[in-house]
Amino acid sequence: MSKKILIVDDEAHIRMLLEQTLEELEDEGVDFFTAENGEQALEIIQAENPQLVYLDVMMPKMNGMEVCRRVKKELELSNVFIVLLTAKGQELDRLKGQEVGADVYMTKPFDPEVILAKAREVLALDN
Amino acid sequence: MVQINLKSIIRKNGTESLIHSIMHELKTTAWIEDDSGRILVGEGRQDTQFSYPVTIEGRVIGYVKGDENALIIANILDHLAIKETERKKLGAEVLNLYQEINMIFNFSEKLAQTIDASSICIIAFQEAMKVIESDNGVIILMDENSKKLQVKATSGESFFNEEIINAQLQFLLKIIWGVQSEIITDTSSLAEVGIILPEVHSIIYSALKVNHRVMGVIILGSKEEVNYTAADLKLLTTLALQSSSAMESAFLYEKNIREAQEKEQAMRLINEVSGKFVPYEFIESLGHAVLTDVKLGDQVEKIVTVLFSDIRDYTALSEQMTPEENFKFICSFNERMGPSIRKNNGFINQYLGDAIMAIFPGNASDALCAAIEMQRNVIEFNLERIKNGQQPIQIGVGMHTGPLIMGITGDADRLDATTISDTVNTASRLESLTKQYKTGIILSEATLAQIANKEKFHLRSLGLVQLKGKLNHIDIHECFSGITEESIFKRQKTLSTFNRGMFNYSNKSFSAAEQAFLSVAEVDPEDRTAEFFLRSSRACIVSGVKENGEING
Repeated sequence: MSKKILIVDDEAHIRMLLEQTLEELEDEGVDFFTAENGEQALEIIQAENPQLVYLDVMMPKMNGMEVCRRVKKELELSNVFIVLLTAKGQELDRLKGQEVGADVYMTKPFDPEVILAKAREVLALDN
Repeated sequence: MVQINLKSIIRKNGTESLIHSIMHELKTTAWIEDDSGRILVGEGRQDTQFSYPVTIEGRVIGYVKGDENALIIANILDHLAIKETERKKLGAEVLNLYQEINMIFNFSEKLAQTIDASSICIIAFQEAMKVIESDNGVIILMDENSKKLQVKATSGESFFNEEIINAQLQFLLKIIWGVQSEIITDTSSLAEVGIILPEVHSIIYSALKVNHRVMGVIILGSKEEVNYTAADLKLLTTLALQSSSAMESAFLYEKNIREAQEKEQAMRLINEVSGKFVPYEFIESLGHAVLTDVKLGDQVEKIVTVLFSDIRDYTALSEQMTPEENFKFICSFNERMGPSIRKNNGFINQYLGDAIMAIFPGNASDALCAAIEMQRNVIEFNLERIKNGQQPIQIGVGMHTGPLIMGITGDADRLDATTISDTVNTASRLESLTKQYKTGIILSEATLAQIANKEKFHLRSLGLVQLKGKLNHIDIHECFSGITEESIFKRQKTLSTFNRGMFNYSNKSFSAAEQAFLSVAEVDPEDRTAEFFLRSSRACIVSGVKENGEING
């Protein structure tokens, strides 16, 4: 099965940044998908079943917390590793993130190296 | 940058289905392969009529093969490839900018957590060297007072010499203070004058500024030739500006702390000195914490024990000394006595020449303990004096317990801490009696009554006494704990005989008293108090009957 990463953020430049950060994985056979809101993200997750999702918390329509809750608690997709992303200064969300079953919690501005290392770890890719 | 491949272009959201529907509409049999011949879309066949390459900036990334319609597909893919390239370039730039923002964000966050100039320098180096290629760095600061340059911090191998920096001050000032940030790709001119090590090839620097004032410079250097970019310079300047204001705050903070400490130290000294003139206990008794709170008219009444000590025959002693010797003698004497009083919870209210007046606000036993220690101090003091060929001295200590008013008297411009009490007069009189009774310590009945653990002390009753200017008679006692162990032993041995003597003396049975005191004096000839009563008894026998056994003090 091919390896898939889904990037979910309502801000185009953050999607671009994450893609750019992870671009070298493309050569290693990883497919990328992007979504700009929670509903779209849920559709892609159900259709493509990505192993790794970078999920922004603050989004219109359906926020990241809700997406995470549905994936983990309703769809019970335990093989989807979810990295929640939120702006610095809103660290209180961390507890909520744990409640909805997020695997990892990261703050923006993120360190690109940390993002890439996490992807390699989750997808079991050698550096 | 990672090379774009055809597969990823086609796999982008929606592209693949779009290509499919176009190919379907065109009813083409064309197929798409990547540069390695792997088929990505459609079905490959052997009979290739047409083959069109898909290229990015002249590099072939795949082919569209099949019928003539393959050209249309190839053109679309060419166009998508250009768009994807542009997107990637933009992405790379955004990522670059984002990393800068991230760096500045981290830097600000770390700066906010430190208030120490050296740590700020270290953080600045860490962050700057992460993003700007360099293998050593230095932060030079201008000392405002000495107008000298000082190497505040270095990272990696130091490539500057502080001595040379100061020797070439004008030259450096001209370049750094003149052009506030610059890239010098070839540093040979700086190496020529010795400012920089010849191994260093390229440097990039930015001035540290606060309010347009240059306070120093941060310089990064590389031994390899590095073509530093305008972006690097912009970044270093940003770091430099942030570091400067943080360092300025750190210096201000350090200065404030230093000044506060100096003030505190000065205050502590003043308090310490004032506490030596007016005892802290005195101020505390008035309900204040510091001398500055004390005001005219403050007063408090307490039951205390007042202790008086005096050097016996001091007038005769002082006649043999020059005024200076005299002063030195009193100083060295007082030095030995003061600690014993404080140690036993008392404070010295006044030094009156050779006399000391001390107050014990707690239990009267404190005063008695202090008196005993003082007598023992005199024994030691005398050993030294004898060794130096000086005459030994003796002191008398008297004490009385009663009410005492401590207060602040004087006028608005001249205050004095004073005590007003009859207790003081009585204590002073009892001290005088020690000369007559030839004893070291006399305490009043009132003092003795307050002492709970009387058995700890060696005490003898000295009967009733009428003090000068007083109507009432008071019971007085002697404490002989302050003499040598050997003498104490002898006094104890004769204690019951002495007490019998005192009993008879008080009852006007002077002959019986004489007998008792005589036998005490025979066993313990050093007991001058017994000798005093022996003489008194004899005097009473000679002069006839006395009305009662009182002795006028």
